[in-house]
Amino acid sequence: MTYEELKAKMDDCHYIYDETLATILYVSLQLGRPLLIEGAAGVGKTEVAKVMASALGRDLVRLQCYEGLDESKALYEWNYQKQLLSIQVNMNAQDRDSLTKSLFSDEYLLERPLLQSIRSEKPVVLLIDEIDKADEEFEAFLLELLSEMQVTIPEIGTIKAKSIPFVVLTSNRARPLSEALRRRCAYLYIEYPDMEKELAILRAKLPHVDDRLCAHVALAVQKLRANDIILKKPSIAETLDWAAALDALGIRELTPDALRQTAGFVLKNNEDLDAMDLDTEEPHTCTCGGSCGGHHHG
Amino acid sequence: MAEPEVYLEKLSAFSRILRMEGLTVSPKETEDASRLLITLGLDDRQRVKTALRTVYAKSREEQISFDQAFDGFFISEEAMRRQAKEQMEREKELQQHRQEAEEELQLNGRPMDLDEKQRETYAAMPEEARERLRSFMDKYRGTAERNPQLYSEFIHSVFAKTLMEQQMLLENAGLGGQELDPEIGILYRDISEFRDTEIPKAIELIQAVARQINGELSARRRAGGHTGKLDFRKTIRKGLETGGSFYHLRYKKKRAHRKHLVLLCDVSGSMVQFSEFALRFIQSLNQVSDNSRTFLFSETVTEADAFQLQNMDLFRSFVRDSGIYGKGTDLGTALEFLCTRKPAVLNSATTLLILSDTKTIDQPRALRALAEAKRQAGRVLFLNPIPEGKWQYLRSVQSVAAVCPMVSCSTLRELAAACRKLTVG
Repeated sequence: MTYEELKAKMDDCHYIYDETLATILYVSLQLGRPLLIEGAAGVGKTEVAKVMASALGRDLVRLQCYEGLDESKALYEWNYQKQLLSIQVNMNAQDRDSLTKSLFSDEYLLERPLLQSIRSEKPVVLLIDEIDKADEEFEAFLLELLSEMQVTIPEIGTIKAKSIPFVVLTSNRARPLSEALRRRCAYLYIEYPDMEKELAILRAKLPHVDDRLCAHVALAVQKLRANDIILKKPSIAETLDWAAALDALGIRELTPDALRQTAGFVLKNNEDLDAMDLDTEEPHTCTCGGSCGGHHHG
Repeated sequence: MAEPEVYLEKLSAFSRILRMEGLTVSPKETEDASRLLITLGLDDRQRVKTALRTVYAKSREEQISFDQAFDGFFISEEAMRRQAKEQMEREKELQQHRQEAEEELQLNGRPMDLDEKQRETYAAMPEEARERLRSFMDKYRGTAERNPQLYSEFIHSVFAKTLMEQQMLLENAGLGGQELDPEIGILYRDISEFRDTEIPKAIELIQAVARQINGELSARRRAGGHTGKLDFRKTIRKGLETGGSFYHLRYKKKRAHRKHLVLLCDVSGSMVQFSEFALRFIQSLNQVSDNSRTFLFSETVTEADAFQLQNMDLFRSFVRDSGIYGKGTDLGTALEFLCTRKPAVLNSATTLLILSDTKTIDQPRALRALAEAKRQAGRVLFLNPIPEGKWQYLRSVQSVAAVCPMVSCSTLRELAAACRKLTVG
């Protein structure tokens, strides 16, 4: 696939990207290297894998990482219940050796996402999401798969990939990843989008929302992100939620009142909401002595 | 497009430069890069840069180093000419400054004995800083007539110190790459230089780094294996999944021993901000036991509980209310207080962590008390907010460093490294 073809396919998916992102995706596809994506929560790391699956016309196999994730949940597991049943059924069989051998065959193997992705006849997109949440042992275990595209199961032996998946790993940088893992991947860092890109995303994802409102929302989100006092910066998903909420309430313009009513969609902790209240507070000019609660008398 | 051999040779040289910049570049990366160049060509400089960065740089920090190296190596012809011209002008200007420096820096009628680097630093200094140094020399010129040798040594040491500090400032100003990324920049900057608006960001960063350290430690603990004793309850429970057969044996884990810390924090004047950051950091670490104790001191000592330290406002109002804020520093009194408390605060299981810049009244008494504290505690560690480069000029730092180990913590990055060392050691 050429660079232009990849861009055309991403355009077909209505995905908003810049030249840098397109080049990086093309490079990792071209080299057959896994792509490690880092960035703050909600900047669209997982979305890259989904779009690539859609653009390449492949299935998406997802492995969500968490603390304590091990190979039985990620790679394979033996179906113990079925094995025990089989032992019970064949208890009187003469050929014990072949029975033992049959117990560790494909029939009793439960494929988990990693094995599923390399044994698939058609190439897939494998998303290993939030790898920083998994333990270091798991990271080490992934090395064989990422560099050789094969896994070793002690009872069976080495299984080579039938098709080479396009692997995407994402990390929120909750802990540093090992050098060994980084070395095997192409690297992409996603930052929050600029005003222009954010507006384009809003237009693409929420075509029914008024263009002026989209511009207001995008501008407000940019300002919130640039504000040092805001601790949890709004993500793209939150921007979309906010615009959709404003639209659902029939609001066409982002006034301070509208901002206060719907702030919960974009700021997710109390300190940030307080900080925003201070920012949007208008000077109190009337003579009510504060009884108007900040609202101007009509 | 040029012949492949031409840019393969260039790529190999570029890989060597990246290695010198601290990036780990294996032959595999160079091979990948060459494949990309053959496919993409060299027409679009920005695309080539992005493609090579994807292959060579494996973290955000490496991306910054890569960008600098790339821009320096693959420069356009026009930029090359401009740079050469600028370089020539700079050289000319520097030469002129050097000559001026020779004339200005006269000591007892002869040129001062400064090495080439010091002279260059003087030449690069802004005019007002040079003026300050010259007026300082003039001020003490009267001493020269009485004792020329003493005057010469004194002036030379003042010059050397000022030039060294100036050089550090110039080097810091040269860390342009880090300024591209505010998050990385804040990690490398002096804690005492944080602006009020940066404090929430710094606290967030502290929490993130503390989470990282905790993650590393728990991973290391899990990898640390087991005690060798069978955990019957867990083994039987796991066996239920396999119809009562014990496929997986479960063993008892080793118990994690948390560090019992005694923290002694200097909260006199300029030390408050550093102590606040350091305390927040240390208390975010899982490895630190809940019954660790914190003492705050200036001229007197007071103990603080966890509630009073839970956020910056509470911490500051507690420091003000306790009457220790804005006073001088008396490390000796604080350490004597710890050593003589009944029941004993320090014992062989405790680690005493002192957060101070070592500037104290009655230093001999402070050193005696420090030696006694070292005898009573299992381990003593001094976290010093003064950058390590300046230690050689401060006698108080040298005296304390001779008694107990000292770690420089002038930046959040150094503070994180010290905390990591503390929890592992």
